[in-house]
Amino acid sequence: MKLSIPSPFVFSLVTVLLLACTNTMADRDPILSKIDLDADPPLAPLPPPPAPLDNPITQAKADLGMKLFFDPKMTGDASLSCGDCHDPKQGWGFNDPISRGYPGTVHWRNSQTVVNTAYLGKLFWQGNAKSLEAQAPIANKGAVAGNGEDDVMEARLRQTPYYIQKFREIFGTELPNLGDAWMAIATFERTLSQRDTPLDRYLAGDKEALSETALKGKELFEGKANCIECHNGPTLTDEKYYNLGVPRPLEWEEMGLNTVTFRWEAYAKGVHEKYYRDWKDDAGLYYSTKRPTDVGKHRTAPLRYLAYTAPYMHAGQFYTLEEVIDFYDEGGGDNEFTDGTHGLENKTPILKPLNLNDEEKESLVVFLEEISGDEIRLKLPEVPPYEVMPDVPGLTQARAKRIGLETYLARTAQQ
Amino acid sequence: MKRWGKFGSVISCFITGTALVLAVPGVAVQASGFPEIGPLPLKEVPKESLAKMGQRLFFDVRVSGDGAISCATCHDPAQGFTRQVGKEGKPMALSDAYPGTRHFRNAPTLINVVYKADFADTGWGWDGHMGANLNDVIRDQITETMMMNMDMRLMHERMKQDPVYVQMCQDNFNGECSSGKGRKALVAFLQTLVSKDAPFDNDSLSGEAQLGRLLFEGKANCVSCHNGPYFSDGQPHNTGVPENLEVFNDPLRHVAYRAVITNHGVPKADIWRRDVGYFLVSKDYRDVGSFITPTLREVVHTAPYMHNGMLQTLEEVVEFYTAGGGHDDPLATELKPLELNGVEQAQLVAFLRSLSSPVAPAAQKVAIPLEYEPIDDWLEVKN
Repeated sequence: MKLSIPSPFVFSLVTVLLLACTNTMADRDPILSKIDLDADPPLAPLPPPPAPLDNPITQAKADLGMKLFFDPKMTGDASLSCGDCHDPKQGWGFNDPISRGYPGTVHWRNSQTVVNTAYLGKLFWQGNAKSLEAQAPIANKGAVAGNGEDDVMEARLRQTPYYIQKFREIFGTELPNLGDAWMAIATFERTLSQRDTPLDRYLAGDKEALSETALKGKELFEGKANCIECHNGPTLTDEKYYNLGVPRPLEWEEMGLNTVTFRWEAYAKGVHEKYYRDWKDDAGLYYSTKRPTDVGKHRTAPLRYLAYTAPYMHAGQFYTLEEVIDFYDEGGGDNEFTDGTHGLENKTPILKPLNLNDEEKESLVVFLEEISGDEIRLKLPEVPPYEVMPDVPGLTQARAKRIGLETYLARTAQQ
Repeated sequence: MKRWGKFGSVISCFITGTALVLAVPGVAVQASGFPEIGPLPLKEVPKESLAKMGQRLFFDVRVSGDGAISCATCHDPAQGFTRQVGKEGKPMALSDAYPGTRHFRNAPTLINVVYKADFADTGWGWDGHMGANLNDVIRDQITETMMMNMDMRLMHERMKQDPVYVQMCQDNFNGECSSGKGRKALVAFLQTLVSKDAPFDNDSLSGEAQLGRLLFEGKANCVSCHNGPYFSDGQPHNTGVPENLEVFNDPLRHVAYRAVITNHGVPKADIWRRDVGYFLVSKDYRDVGSFITPTLREVVHTAPYMHNGMLQTLEEVVEFYTAGGGHDDPLATELKPLELNGVEQAQLVAFLRSLSSPVAPAAQKVAIPLEYEPIDDWLEVKN
């Protein structure tokens, strides 16, 4: 698919120069000239989950990560774990439009599935974490998410003999370090990769893997409906940012608790006071870049495992895939960052009315449902208990003080 | 002035006394060299409407991160602004804390706490780790993970969502709510928690209490640390109070303890099975086990005693000092046995009782709505 109207906002100067350069090369090169450089990466089977060089996947680490993922010790008041907002029974996400958040609060965005996140380079709707290792502590420490604090979370791990033993075996440290906990959680999450969906089998050559209707849907997906413009490659996302004109969630005006969180986010993300006062919608990528052209843009969502992860969009604005497809069929929508309310018209020019008939819409839905594959369920692990820590052998506490004191006095005597 | 312990108590106390004269002008020094005990000096009365706003915040669980506890949870007005009995009615030596942790110290009273702010050189908290400014201390307590684990920006937004606070902020500050205004209001509320009619202040000491006062300032030498109108020199001392081993036998308390000392850079946080006390601040091993002298005012209403609640009654406390303090720490040298007989001990207790009001200052609980109402015309008004 060619990008019909390249938006001047989308390409930075560098990108334009690079493109110009490669185009010239392509003109000269007999092989390159046959390749459509604007082509979207095709749908592809998932490769084995990649892992950072400093955090290779091992079974022991994944097992430890699973315990930590479901262990409420990793949050502020120890009442909820990663698994409470990324619930295996709710598609490893949370099935309210807006995630539940920390007790006494509510979140402000839809909780996304953990399944297949191993392949993503941009986590969160705002893309503000670049790895699973970076994502976990942001989630566990945010005031409306985990509200945990490093010293307390680490002290809790160190009060748990199971963890002391496991961290020692896996990371070789005398006592658990919190940073290693995020490594273990990330490793566990990488194991939640789903490489045997009908889509993967179809793309690997099993032409029976997708139904006839789904194949019609696939054709629309890659053709008339142009979903593949953004939802492409093995993960079905280009990991770029767009404002589709998704409407503002009603919760922010209708529920006081949600209003609190909405304002808090704008405050905490450091927008100028004028925008804190005036904006009533999620400015998305703008919070990271502070570029006006990024206001209201969110990272393209991956479409794998979709059947289990309703509702959809960054604040769960749509409950069903049918609603989502209707939205795109109409060419997207409008919000205050696209309709000029604040002098911004950031809607992506990619979206156009699609003129899909009911049958076409239905086959798109069937395609998306079929490629979701089997649900990944899990028997929740038991969380290891705290235990009383034994005294240090041979060290009375008077002696602990005395050792310190004698060291101290010897040092001051030398000075 | 924070260096203590190794030197003889008389010398150190004398130095402290001098320091306090410098720090608190207007406090008389008595012949012994210590600031004179006496009635609390009058303070400016806070604006009533501001104190009311602070009182509402004091009882508002939404001031904590997960909306589970308020200031009053550990500083219960019905228990002398401390926490002495738990929810099941069992005595509590050690305070509760933020859910998911438990505290490793006894919650001190807030009555007269505003007078503590006069000690500019004093660290706050039992271990002196906080700055001597009531507003700062309140911020510390609200944001500290073990206490209320609250993001100040979230407190700001929660206040802005509550029409009662919005009105209170308008009335008192003529402006929109902020966490800073909330803290100012809490300071005003604490300013109202002042002893009013203790016999000591009314010159109505019983004969027994008068004899106790002579011992207090004389033979028992309590005044070497408990001096000035607030009955505290605001300095760290090691009196050898035995460890409360519940801190290390209750994993949640041990977690909290270790997290705090790690956070403050205490070396080898995992080996300590004793409360390092003022060492947390000074990193000087001679300070291990030293704690800031507490006030003795309203002491009748604030049992149990000591930083870890190890002593239950005033009689036990007097007995403890009569014996020359505890012997848990062979390096603690500040105290000597006092050789007080039973009658004298009773006289001291009578004097201590006279420092308390017949009825402790209290505050009416404020009912707080649990839900936040939406804002009318939210889309039309500015955030």
